Amino acid sequence: MFFKQIKRNAARNRKGNGLLYGSLVIAIVAFYTLLSLDKQDVMQFLSTIESEAVKKLLSLIPAVYAVSLFFVFFLVYFACRYQMESRRKEFGLYLMLGMKRSRLFFMLLGETLWNSIVSLLAGIPAAILLTEGTSLVTAKIAGLGIIGHSFSLSPEAILLTICGFIIIQVISLFVICLPYGRTEPAKFMQRDAASGQLRSSKPVSAVFTALGIVFLLVSYYIGLFDLSHEDISALAAHFALMLLTCALGTFSVYRGMGGIIGVSVARKARSATGLGTFTGRQVQESVLHQHRSLAVSSLLFLIALTCISYGIAMGAARITDSRTTDFSLTGTEQKVSAVLADPDVKAVTAASYPVYLSMTNIDFDTSRIQKALGKLKDAENASEYFHADYIISLSSYNRLMSAMGKESLTLGSNEAALYSTMESSTLYTYFSDVLAQGMTIGINGTDYRLKNVLYTDKIVADRSITLYAALIVSDDLYAKLAQDTEPFCWNLHLNNEFTQKYGLLQAIQKTEKYIDKYNIEYDSFLGGIGRTLFYTVAISYLTIYLGVIFLLIANTAVGTKFLIQQRENRHRYVTLMMLGADKEEMCRSARKQINTFFGLVLSVAVFNSIMFILILFSNFSIIPPGGLLTTIIILSLAALLLFVLTEIIYLAAVKRNACREIRAMDITDRG
Amino acid sequence: MNTEHILQTEDLTKTYGKGGTQTKALCGISIDVLEGEFLGIMGPSGSGKTTLLNCVATMLRPTSGRVILRGKDIASFKSSQLTEYRGQEIGYLFQEFELLDNLTARENITLPLALHGITGDSADSRISLLASKLDITDVLDKFPSQMSGGQKQRVAAARALISDPGIVLADEPTGALDSRNSRILMDKLAAINKNDGKTIMMVTHDANAASYCTRILFIQDGKVFHELRKSAAGETTAAFYDRIVAVMAQLGGGSANVL
Repeated sequence: MFFKQIKRNAARNRKGNGLLYGSLVIAIVAFYTLLSLDKQDVMQFLSTIESEAVKKLLSLIPAVYAVSLFFVFFLVYFACRYQMESRRKEFGLYLMLGMKRSRLFFMLLGETLWNSIVSLLAGIPAAILLTEGTSLVTAKIAGLGIIGHSFSLSPEAILLTICGFIIIQVISLFVICLPYGRTEPAKFMQRDAASGQLRSSKPVSAVFTALGIVFLLVSYYIGLFDLSHEDISALAAHFALMLLTCALGTFSVYRGMGGIIGVSVARKARSATGLGTFTGRQVQESVLHQHRSLAVSSLLFLIALTCISYGIAMGAARITDSRTTDFSLTGTEQKVSAVLADPDVKAVTAASYPVYLSMTNIDFDTSRIQKALGKLKDAENASEYFHADYIISLSSYNRLMSAMGKESLTLGSNEAALYSTMESSTLYTYFSDVLAQGMTIGINGTDYRLKNVLYTDKIVADRSITLYAALIVSDDLYAKLAQDTEPFCWNLHLNNEFTQKYGLLQAIQKTEKYIDKYNIEYDSFLGGIGRTLFYTVAISYLTIYLGVIFLLIANTAVGTKFLIQQRENRHRYVTLMMLGADKEEMCRSARKQINTFFGLVLSVAVFNSIMFILILFSNFSIIPPGGLLTTIIILSLAALLLFVLTEIIYLAAVKRNACREIRAMDITDRG
Repeated sequence: MNTEHILQTEDLTKTYGKGGTQTKALCGISIDVLEGEFLGIMGPSGSGKTTLLNCVATMLRPTSGRVILRGKDIASFKSSQLTEYRGQEIGYLFQEFELLDNLTARENITLPLALHGITGDSADSRISLLASKLDITDVLDKFPSQMSGGQKQRVAAARALISDPGIVLADEPTGALDSRNSRILMDKLAAINKNDGKTIMMVTHDANAASYCTRILFIQDGKVFHELRKSAAGETTAAFYDRIVAVMAQLGGGSANVL
């Protein structure tokens, strides 16, 4: 009988709170995905190349899991509280009928566990499907072979997901039920009423809003113009100050917002018809009573949006940036020709060419570049140590471009291009800024005009070769300046048919086998892909993961906050019915309130996010030029679309819940 | 007082439950309320007086019978027609005031108008008039939490009267007030009834409050059991109170309640 009641109550809870259970299932999927990372194809592959780095990343996962559990705890807490608050009368009745508090607690515990099991039964299979799908997609995007993909199941991840999930559910139940131990039955049976009262002083609100805007502007200023310190401790201090001012600004804006909404509602009240004034006052009350929650939710949205955008863009940048040539062979022309003539190699080759890259003994006159660098803020070091000792022949560079399907570089007479593969965003920015001004460089007493963009495509497969600065010069000039006129190496590009058939990973591995027969030194893209892909996976995966978790929590928190408030104020809706409001009109008002409530949280978050994404990209990473920017923009738009879709789904779910409650109200139910 | 009927109930019945668990709350009540009348409904708990008020208030649909307000049978109205009537043709006054605590007094008062498409601006003079009659001018821009219980109930009265309804229905309006505030409220309602000819139908347990009425119907077991009229020849409230108390004593006498 007791168990039947638990099952019945649990089913009713699930039905009445689809929003929460949907979110919980997504949380389970996210947990499993994170915990089973070591079993996923990409990680397995990476660990064969970059085992140390992967180990480090995997050792971080328990910490990330703990952090996500901590945040998901709040999601569960908010949602459970909403559910418990709506059942207060029922609990009071149980106690009045003689049920012991301990039995009541065990009944709730039973319901929680039962619903946890149901959520897990839905979530874990979904998670396994999703991780398999993600594995396939990631492998495809990253160019790994998908032929060798095998089904992976991580019992350890399942166990940890179940334990973590049930633990946070039980803890949140304890926290919610703790005050119930001292609550008198009569208190349970009392009609709920919105706590506190509406009081907002206009001057105080105005001061808080103004203060909030000032804090936010200071935060943006620090982020955009004051984070280029080379001293790590100064950078950390400024970064912390930026975060602090952003949080303070957000809190202050929400603290002041209630008063401002109040002024606007009061101004419109005299000419308002329908439920306009009521809707406005409801929103004002929410903001006044819950300005802290709104600020926290808005900051969670900010973190989510920033994480997701940064994760996607960085992932895209790394993936697209990484592949230039597949092999760089080093050896005598004779040896290399033998390899290239091999029928197996020939069959898979799209292009092969010698790379003319050499040091030069000529001292270039770089004084104008150094002078221009010296004028840039904080670029004294770059100016002092600027040097260009290498040259690349134009034909080699253009063969690389043509093999990659990119536009070739044309140099006029007395023209050269600056090339750098230093992975430093600051250097990249400095060089680009200086080149944009139009520079010249002196070679053997003649001034050569430099192209006004920086060239960065890696000319060899070996990622460990980085050039601080080199000049791309015409072949004639190269012949005059080069210390060594022999090719530096021979590049080999695999044909698309082959890479598409086997996937890049297997295609390169197969070709390696063909080349190995000739006992020749070579570097392959695979050697370099390890680190690049590791960054792709680590940065994108973890930031997107955390972003999704935060997005989930923020949405559920805002949604349940609204629904709790509506439930606390149900008597207001009954009064409205008495005064002649029809239910559909009240549903329209509730929908408007929900739109405004979410809108208030999201507007500040979206604005902050735009600024933070700008800050992240302007300070911590470079967006390489060319077609990649389009990819990032497309991916960001896709992410934005997904975000908007998520919000539409959440809004629809909250609206459906709110309207269902309103429609279920009875005019005689005055408490 | 006018002799025209503003409200009539004809053979009104209301049954709760089905089959063997049926309970008859109203057993064919027929009453007439005259224009400008201050009618009291009294009776013991479970007698059906609140059910009667709820049926008249369109909060409950009667099982059978008719509720005729100004010639129209509102018991047969559909929900869209009912919302037109609520707050406009019928004003309500509740025991617990039922003010929306996040709206100012002025916004609460104009709410029924707003719901029927009339702006607060156009009712400025009427709000001022009602506020001065009910002595709430000072609290018009305050929120309910900043008012006393008496002020809240008078704001609720202003809200019930703002759209100039045909009838005001009051359900234990003094139930949550102390004696001083109860007296102030009843004085104001009686004055509005007398001076403006506003029809009021009030359910109450309180003999004191009932003594302000011009006529009282006593209900028991879903039927009108007795009727008291204040004598037209200037019967004092105190004298009427004594008569009401006498009837209530009879009502409490179980099988001996035969007058």
